[in-house]
Amino acid sequence: MGCSVAGVTVDFALIGHQESWRAAADVLAVLRGPPHGPLPDDEIKDILPWIPPRAVCHVEVESTGGAKARGLYIDSFIPPDRLEAAHTHDNMARVRGAAACAIKAGAKIVSLGGFSSILIEGNFNQLPPGQDTVFTTGNTLTVGYIVQGVHKMCEQEGRKLRRSTLLIVGATGDVGSGCARCLAPDVKRVLLCARNVDRLRRLARELEADGALVEIATDLEQFSARADIAICAASLASPSLLLGRIAPDALVCDAGYPKNLSPCAEMPGATIFFGGLGQIAGGLSFTPNFQGILNRHPFPDVVHGCLLEGMALALEGRFEAFSQGRGLITPERVDEMESIAARHGICLAPLYNAAGPLDLAAITS
Amino acid sequence: MGLAIGLNRSATMECISLSESAPIWQDILAQAMTGELIAAMNYTSLSEICDDPEEVADALEHARGERGHAARFAAEGRGIGVDVPDNVDAKHWKRLREAFLGCIADRDFIGCLIVQEIMLESFAVASYTRVGRVAAGSLGKTFASIAAEEEEHIGHAMAILQAERALDPQRFDDKLHRLHLDVMTTLARMLAKECKDGHCEVCHASCVKPSLFEVSLSAAELRGASQQQYLKTLDALGLPGEVTLAWVAQLPV
Repeated sequence: MGCSVAGVTVDFALIGHQESWRAAADVLAVLRGPPHGPLPDDEIKDILPWIPPRAVCHVEVESTGGAKARGLYIDSFIPPDRLEAAHTHDNMARVRGAAACAIKAGAKIVSLGGFSSILIEGNFNQLPPGQDTVFTTGNTLTVGYIVQGVHKMCEQEGRKLRRSTLLIVGATGDVGSGCARCLAPDVKRVLLCARNVDRLRRLARELEADGALVEIATDLEQFSARADIAICAASLASPSLLLGRIAPDALVCDAGYPKNLSPCAEMPGATIFFGGLGQIAGGLSFTPNFQGILNRHPFPDVVHGCLLEGMALALEGRFEAFSQGRGLITPERVDEMESIAARHGICLAPLYNAAGPLDLAAITS
Repeated sequence: MGLAIGLNRSATMECISLSESAPIWQDILAQAMTGELIAAMNYTSLSEICDDPEEVADALEHARGERGHAARFAAEGRGIGVDVPDNVDAKHWKRLREAFLGCIADRDFIGCLIVQEIMLESFAVASYTRVGRVAAGSLGKTFASIAAEEEEHIGHAMAILQAERALDPQRFDDKLHRLHLDVMTTLARMLAKECKDGHCEVCHASCVKPSLFEVSLSAAELRGASQQQYLKTLDALGLPGEVTLAWVAQLPV
């Protein structure tokens, strides 16, 4: 495993992968540097799949309180076109390789980003043993920022959450079920959509026991036209979700990495925003400089909640596996995680979508 | 290309299955044989700068081993009815030999090990392993078994190199990078999907690379596997992953 310099403190490690060939090309372009020029697209597709998991850069994050934490970004180099279930075995091996790299580097806490988290959330026993390294999926903070985003968009658009029907796509996943638990008490009705009926029934019973009105379906078509608010948190290998007959004034949160919604999805009148993102007020730096490459957002120092969870816990000096397993995220745990992050100036990122910023404060500033 | 005559049925069947692609295997074997002869020459040169008689004997033993590999590749060629030429003066191989001789001139034992064991053997192990998986019968077995033997060489050298790096990691890494820029750049040009600098002077006619798909190989796969093996070897030596990643990313394509 390509681990980092011995003797350098590694408080945290972030394990990730690129969601598109464009993003992968940009990473390789930074590594090559200006004298060598970017690689042609066909060469990138030939070269990237052979790169073993390894550290790509050093990361430093600063709390608004002055504390600093140092870490590594480790890429599993899962090729963007091999995120499907057919490649699960190879992808698990890559995530295990990246985890071994984090352990060898002496990382005290490791956040699992994107598909790494999806692959591992139900398979923590498959990670290599590391006595002094703990792993978190980071899903608790991701849920926190999705829920905060929904609240903020409703407030901004004058929507009454209490009168809304909430659809969650990918409802039985760790993130989807966490969102359901956090938002079910605040909405009129919850529509849960996922592939596994047994898991859907279990989650529905749990929410109903707390007084929520719940319906379940494996066929999205049954629900999409009835939803006022939709959270898309499915584990999709590429942006391929077509929500179908979504209500014209619906609010849609795309919380996937890779994104869930297909660019072909036709949702006239609906408002779409990307969810699950936080922003670091104290500062974030990469060495070499991958600013805007590893965090491809229209605002500075914006990072996915799953990765921010590890950074926030490192700043707090709380090296514990905060998010593990599937279906264990509760509103109380989300509150706790959000408070930890907020203490260090890590808060919900300005909201945006493919067309640009949606956050009124961000637009006016 | 004519069929070799086998005495038993299975050998004849093997020749038939390989005969259609014999010109491709001829070029693959020619590259492998040339590489083995270069390795034999490198170990012989290495024996000349060793002070310890045991190291001298080791280097000469390695040289004999590499010549043995070359002979086995030549025999495999005969088995499918082709002569396997070699050309240690072919432009890329000559450049690689010169890089090694530069270390010899400096009496740089560690530099020699880095060039031969880390760089050239990574390439050999990875590419022979891939070829061993797709070549039928005896040819495939020969490639696979030579890959395993070369891997053993690397294991032996790794212990020496790890100990050397522990003494002064920065100095070691700087030396490795200097050699990387020379040797790995040459290897990258050799392994590029297309030979942009003209004929390699080893293939017997036109470049074999566009035909590799006919034997379930590709130049991109051989390059990828070789660079992956190289990165893993550098990882095992303890070099920082983010540094070696940039080195490999900067190689020519």
